[in-house]
Amino acid sequence: MENNALRSTLPYVAGLILAAVLYHYAQQIEYSAHAGSLGPDFWPKATIAVMALVCVIEIIRRLLGSRQEAQGIAETFEKEEEDEAPPQTYPWLLTAGIVLVLAYAVMVTTLGFLFCTFLFLAAFMYLGRYRNHLAIWLTSFGITIGAAILFMRIAYVSLPRGEPPFDAITDFIRVILGG
Amino acid sequence: MGDILLQLGHGFLNCFTLVHLLMLFIGIVIGLLVGVLPGLTLVMGVALALPFTYHMDVTASIVLLTAMYVSGTYGGAFTAILFKIPGEPIDVPMLWDGYTMGRKGMPAKALGWTLVAALGGGLLSAVIMVLLTQPLAHFALRFSTPEYFAVLVFGLSSVVALGSGSLANALISLCVGMLIATVGTDETYGAYRFTFGSPILADGIEFLVVMVGAYGIGEVLTRLETGFATKPIEKISNARTELPTWREMAPLKWMFARASILGNIIGLIPGAGATIASFVSYGMESQFGKRRKEMGTGIPEGIVAPQAAATASVGGALVPLLALGIPGSGATAIILGAFMLHGIQPGPQVMATSAPIVYTVFASVFIGLAFMSVVGYFAIRPLVKILDLPEAVVSAYVMTLCFVGALSIRNNITDLWLMIGFGVIGYLFERFRFPIAPLVLGVILGPLTEAAFMNSMISFGNDWTVFFTRPISGTVMVFTAIMLLLPFFQQWRAKKADTAKRGA
Repeated sequence: MENNALRSTLPYVAGLILAAVLYHYAQQIEYSAHAGSLGPDFWPKATIAVMALVCVIEIIRRLLGSRQEAQGIAETFEKEEEDEAPPQTYPWLLTAGIVLVLAYAVMVTTLGFLFCTFLFLAAFMYLGRYRNHLAIWLTSFGITIGAAILFMRIAYVSLPRGEPPFDAITDFIRVILGG
Repeated sequence: MGDILLQLGHGFLNCFTLVHLLMLFIGIVIGLLVGVLPGLTLVMGVALALPFTYHMDVTASIVLLTAMYVSGTYGGAFTAILFKIPGEPIDVPMLWDGYTMGRKGMPAKALGWTLVAALGGGLLSAVIMVLLTQPLAHFALRFSTPEYFAVLVFGLSSVVALGSGSLANALISLCVGMLIATVGTDETYGAYRFTFGSPILADGIEFLVVMVGAYGIGEVLTRLETGFATKPIEKISNARTELPTWREMAPLKWMFARASILGNIIGLIPGAGATIASFVSYGMESQFGKRRKEMGTGIPEGIVAPQAAATASVGGALVPLLALGIPGSGATAIILGAFMLHGIQPGPQVMATSAPIVYTVFASVFIGLAFMSVVGYFAIRPLVKILDLPEAVVSAYVMTLCFVGALSIRNNITDLWLMIGFGVIGYLFERFRFPIAPLVLGVILGPLTEAAFMNSMISFGNDWTVFFTRPISGTVMVFTAIMLLLPFFQQWRAKKADTAKRGA
């Protein structure tokens, strides 16, 4: 029971630490003060103070074992839909998903948007436990070409071209699309 | 009144251009699809569409997003009635009578009632929206900075008080959003705040990065953690819509009006969107309706009440957005973002400076409702067919849209990193039951609130009592206090009921 109470305070302890760190940085905001006026540090400091206060109240409330918690009005309605058992979770899938997204951000400037997106799409579908190989590769190819048409020919959004030798892929697709 | 009708007429003419009609049609179809797919929420869909509006003119982009918003409140009813899968939280009440009517062998009739309710509720609310926006904007012209500050604080408070989850978590979420908004160069002093020496952070964090990350990446990561476990759906070969007859509808006319007006009023309150409208309207009908004892057994009242209110809330939510510059829901927060991206600040002045745009948007709501009904009536089978798509494929596509959204803002890879960071924050918020809507509204409304506060302090010699002593701002502050006390009142009532139950 005590362990549960302690564990439930963790998000608020994290919030309190975040507030302390941000307050430290807010103290370092440099400006030339106007006499009688509030500085640019006032608003962030006030916001941090409110956040810290709420975190402290929640930590104390939880440590004291109080079950009374004010809920938003919509919670009353949404409770009615929560009669089903929570779904099974797969933390490794989540971790792999985050790693895949980070890998995308690392590789996109090197591989170029189109090639990197193509690989990401296929990898993400496999990660999402979809196993129709033909559909995965065809869909990835289709979405990538669709994106190329949309962003190179219609919306003209500038997306990473990639570094040699991968930029050749982007250039090839651009030529095919008549760019 | 004549002036309003004349401007609305111009708005209709403006709408009948190829580009605007195309945007309207695309918006309606995408909104319906977003409503149908359980993995995509209405707000997420509107947020993902926002980056595509960069290169459009402002009217076309607002027409697109508003059309998505309107039809998104309707599309989820298809899957709720046919497969017992609510596409959105809005559609949960549709399970109680809509799905039950379907199980009684009348799914086409249930879909027909839904269509009529969405159309009727939407049209009535659109009329109220047109009539209310200009007078409210004129009234708001009297506002000075303290009044603006009070109204903004009311908006932020109602998002916290009316949302779901713990009040403390919503407040923390709001503070985080407001702090994100302070990153960058301060407008008054030119001072750098929380930039950590990064040149791109000196320009601030784009609210789009926060929105797309928290709503898009965060939601996909949450569903990925469950292995994209969706319920298997049964095959429906004869999905069609059968409209109710006039004779069937006549006895329900007052109930229609009641649900639509209720939805509109709920939409007007910042923070209370279509979901609350849908549930409250169903609850009202269960408590006070003529056939309250039959609710839940598959009667039309149980379908019309939530659907009419949900679609009617759209018109209501657009009024404070356009007249005061305060979004009434997550989707209108994104529409506000679209206005701001094009250099237009909705608020009292918008009726004077950009009236043609506003009236074109109004007209697009009317035309959009008609489009929505036609598409909903004829294309229900292909629309629900999209449920055959594996969730991994849809989610991979959503991720790609998120990446494009981040990369297209400033063509800078830092925005991609920031968006991924906010995606992880969005996931953590979802995991620990911190609501995301206050975070997003904090990012959007934070700078406006800060500017109104700082300007008030400069104008009134740092006298903070000005917010309480001026008649309008004082009244709004009283409403704010009431709004913030509501959850505590509800908690007290629940405790009292619990004690009474135990005693019995």
